[in-house]
Amino acid sequence: MWVEHKANAFDIFNYAILVVMSACFLYPVVMTLALSLSDADKLGNATVGIWPIGYSLNAYRLLLSDDRILRFYLNTINYAGTGTLIMLISTSMMAYPLTFRDFRGGKLVSILLVISLFFSGGLVPTYLVVLRLGLVDTMWALVLPPAISAFNVMIFRTFFANIPSSLRESASIDGAGHFTVLWRIIMPLSKPLFATFALYTAVMFWNDFFWSLIFLRDQDKQPIQLFLRRILVLLDFRDVENSTILEVIQNISSRTVKGAAVIITIAPILCVYPFLQKYFTKGMMIGAIKA
Amino acid sequence: MSTFNVERGITSIDSLGPSVHEKGSWWRYVRRNPALYVMLIPGLLNLLLFKYLPMWGIVIGFQQFHPALGVLGSKWVGFKHYIDFFNDPYFFRLMRNTLLLGVYTLAFSFPAPIVLALLLNELRSVGFKRVTQTISYMPYFISTVVVIGLLREFTSPNDGIVNAVIAGLGGERIPFFLRPLWFPPLYIISGIWAQIGFSSILYLAAIANINPELYESAVIDGAKRFRQVWHITIPSILPVIVILFILAVGGILATDFQKILLMYSPFTYETADVLSTYIYRVGIESEGSNFSYSTAVGVFTALISLIFLIITNRVARAVNETSLW
Repeated sequence: MWVEHKANAFDIFNYAILVVMSACFLYPVVMTLALSLSDADKLGNATVGIWPIGYSLNAYRLLLSDDRILRFYLNTINYAGTGTLIMLISTSMMAYPLTFRDFRGGKLVSILLVISLFFSGGLVPTYLVVLRLGLVDTMWALVLPPAISAFNVMIFRTFFANIPSSLRESASIDGAGHFTVLWRIIMPLSKPLFATFALYTAVMFWNDFFWSLIFLRDQDKQPIQLFLRRILVLLDFRDVENSTILEVIQNISSRTVKGAAVIITIAPILCVYPFLQKYFTKGMMIGAIKA
Repeated sequence: MSTFNVERGITSIDSLGPSVHEKGSWWRYVRRNPALYVMLIPGLLNLLLFKYLPMWGIVIGFQQFHPALGVLGSKWVGFKHYIDFFNDPYFFRLMRNTLLLGVYTLAFSFPAPIVLALLLNELRSVGFKRVTQTISYMPYFISTVVVIGLLREFTSPNDGIVNAVIAGLGGERIPFFLRPLWFPPLYIISGIWAQIGFSSILYLAAIANINPELYESAVIDGAKRFRQVWHITIPSILPVIVILFILAVGGILATDFQKILLMYSPFTYETADVLSTYIYRVGIESEGSNFSYSTAVGVFTALISLIFLIITNRVARAVNETSLW
């Protein structure tokens, strides 16, 4: 695109600014990793730069051997997995009938969807509905309300409608019903779509703290983000202090535990996202076209 | 992406046989394709319970709602809660904080990804560009709880790096999270950190769609790089910028209240308490929640947002011929 010319002052400035910016993105994570690996006795109140002060894995040992914290972690995996699955299946089921031009009632369903896109009851009425349905302290309070979004249904519908109709027709000639066509033909052909939306939805559930905060009072059901909120924001370490193995392990402090808790929560996503880049950039484009 | 074609799509399986379409019988269609209607059940149930029921719940903003009496049994009070809200001692503070944070977001957070996209686009090294982009997306995948947790670590008066630098330069350590003055910058900076990379994707895609011939003819005309950016790149992505700007102005009251909940404390309410955090505190967090009052504040917020959206759209259409509708 460019006619070649030599690197000028602007290029140098541009590279410099982007290197500094990348460092700003990476530094908090690097510092946290260093903090989590530090030896609390040597650390004291010192400021960690990019290298651990002393070295100890004990903060990780504490977190990974504590049943309660493991429970928080498993809850998060459970909610993110279930929530994503329910979203994909219910959205697909709602989008599939709408791909038929002569589908009776399709207009009505579309209107219902569009209205929900522009109007919302707001926080408190939504909260009251979930309360009234008796979903509090169950994972359904988290995974059911966001399962259907008009926006997602419309994108799924468009994607399904672009699958060559000959594929669907040939299946129906073989006597396959709508459920079989959706399950055997449409869904396998929609893997890129599912990958994009699964990524977004799973990240949303993984990172949520707010809905868990208002709907899950029972501590055993809480996800890891609420544990993180207690130790990072409220500076409440009771979860950790009650740990039975605390007596056996030395060289940890609230600071190293904080660091380790952050690292074990963000590590799975940070290890995966670079390989899924093409999916979420694609998702962003789909979103842009719709908007 | 241009292959998106909503009009295509086949008729249902049945229409392959003798056409049901001509006979036009609803009932016959349903009987022939029951599966299609079964499939809709979960989705429609979800819409009804979690979208339409709460919309209907807005009526409690006009009632003295009591959970035991329910929506049908509670007393009707008309606009009482709205009038109460205008007379609320916090009304002015809430409006000011919400609008200020919205304006700061428009002024700083909105242009940031555009600048990043322009800078990334000027890079000649493909490898460096890829790596930088990948790194810039990372914060998007880190939860708000962790972002704010890290920010607290960084700015901690005892062991945070920011205060270590301040002390090293001979300054006095600042308890950032207790100072109202520092709340808006912390809110904006953490927001830019978390969003800038991801938001730049859209602008980069728009830039990638610019016809290369435009640049070639500009080069022939002797245009330098800055002039190319100014006269070709920016005008080409202007429609995208305008549309996102309209949406951003429409969302000016939609502060990131989940983040504020993690950042604020009574020490910083003076600058940090906004409409949505107030709704949450009054309606859900506090003992003896006032459901009706907070619902009314929510409806008020939604109305103001709608007005903002309509006005910006009008202005954009008049000035630029780009608009949402």
